[in-house]
Amino acid sequence: MSPVEFAAAFDEFVDARLEWLSDNGAWFFDGLNDVLHAGYQAIYNGLTWLPFWAVILAFGLLGWRLTASWRFALGTMLGLVLCVAMGLWPQTMSTLALVLSATSMALIIGIPLGVAAGLMPSLDRVSEPVLDLIQTLPPYIYLLPAIALLGYGPGTALVATFIVAVPPVVRLTSLGIRMTPKVFIELGQATGTTGWQQFFKIRLPFALPSIMAGVNQGLMMAFGMVVIAGIVGSGGLGEVIYGAIRTLDIAMSINAAIAIVILTLILDRMAQSATRLGRRAVHESR
Amino acid sequence: MNPADIKFSPGAWLAPSVDWLNANLHGLFALISRFIESVLGGIEGVLLVIPPYGMIALVAVAAFFLVNLRAAILAVVMLGFCLLSGFWVASMQTIALVTVAVLISVAVAFPIGVAASRIKRLDAVLSPILNVMQTVPPWVYLIPAVMVFSLGKVPAILATIIYGIPPMLRLTTLAFNQVPRDLLELGRALGAAPRAILLKIELPAAMPTLLVGLNQCILLSLAMVVLAGLVGAGGLGAEVTRGLTRMEMGLGLRAGLAIVAVALLLDRLSRGALQGRRIRAAT
Repeated sequence: MSPVEFAAAFDEFVDARLEWLSDNGAWFFDGLNDVLHAGYQAIYNGLTWLPFWAVILAFGLLGWRLTASWRFALGTMLGLVLCVAMGLWPQTMSTLALVLSATSMALIIGIPLGVAAGLMPSLDRVSEPVLDLIQTLPPYIYLLPAIALLGYGPGTALVATFIVAVPPVVRLTSLGIRMTPKVFIELGQATGTTGWQQFFKIRLPFALPSIMAGVNQGLMMAFGMVVIAGIVGSGGLGEVIYGAIRTLDIAMSINAAIAIVILTLILDRMAQSATRLGRRAVHESR
Repeated sequence: MNPADIKFSPGAWLAPSVDWLNANLHGLFALISRFIESVLGGIEGVLLVIPPYGMIALVAVAAFFLVNLRAAILAVVMLGFCLLSGFWVASMQTIALVTVAVLISVAVAFPIGVAASRIKRLDAVLSPILNVMQTVPPWVYLIPAVMVFSLGKVPAILATIIYGIPPMLRLTTLAFNQVPRDLLELGRALGAAPRAILLKIELPAAMPTLLVGLNQCILLSLAMVVLAGLVGAGGLGAEVTRGLTRMEMGLGLRAGLAIVAVALLLDRLSRGALQGRRIRAAT
């Protein structure tokens, strides 16, 4: 078969399958899209319903609580004020809402999966190569299946972001569960704890720092993807940059890039501090 | 207070300076462009002048001797798919882009990484910068490159180089920090010249970690090169972008699978080189 024939046959096959899927699975994909969109919209509405200064103040306070550094808190607030001053507040909040909703989806699905993989080596042997593959491929291509089934909009962005954010969460959760020292598990068995107690009182606290590291990494992966998803109409800063680059609007693309960098650095630092706090809590409880 | 009351746009301030750069340093940028384009053109030419079947055979033989039979079979299947899917030229363009970007990234990152492992002060300065560089989403790297070099392959390569430097630099520093002290002291005690210590003791001892860095650098570069399809870098990324923006799913998925093939090929071969070395070192 020559490449040209193969390409034509392949495209026809894909188009036919997709048509079949969108005819027969429309209820499913539309429903999924609606659910994703509703989740994102709820966070976005919450963030934009509050006046911008309230959100900035809340971020400052949260940053101060987490890092115990007033300089970071002040920097956070100044950075966000800059986002407002650049006229990118709604887009910044939209990007934040996308990241938060995609990351929470990744956590809701990734942590149980990671726990299961940590407890069952056979599941781990299956999931490990799959996660490996997901992390090897360029993130950009995850937009393809998503856009084919969900169409243009935030739903596609969320699915693609979810795919990218899940692997570190699953990996580090299962790692944390597996790293629980054997002595403590045996201690638990010797003192006659039930399975649930053993899980919640022994394994989970030990796994917590690793899980938090997974959350942090997932968050950062989600950031990278959400910005790329601007091309499929995710809204937010990614779309601003995509538009600005295509029209070579230098001022706008610089502003949007600054807003993204500010938001990324703030969330990264906060997540790292939360990880550290979690680790300290575990050490103190020991 | 109204959000509209405060207005400040760093972009509007910076845009004139970008214009100034473009107007006054045009010669320099044109020179850089010319240089990158000629190197890229050379590699692309070499990859494309060999007929596809010859290329597949060549890679398979190389993979067989450098890694093992499985790697050779993988190479045949993956490159075969690139050919069958009708994206041979685009695949070779993508591989050429990755090759050039990785070569330059390594050339920049390796000396700095070695220096950072020797001079702790430099490491302390670099570490926070690298942290920020690895946190920032890849998209952001394309913006300054596009501003200066407009659309095309040159901004794509530059963004890819900058994106690929941090992992390589980090792992180079780590690799050289991990060289056992007793080996170094042995070298000094034998009166070996610093160059001999570097080449004969440190480099071999650091090699496994360096190859991990290379693998990371290759995969991140591939991710960036594909993404750079958005700014007209050509190759497989451009085909995916075409599929995405025109909603031609067959085209997009075909190009996506070709990217999967290229990614697996590059990943397994660079990893295989690492493992092959370990096995040989063990025997």
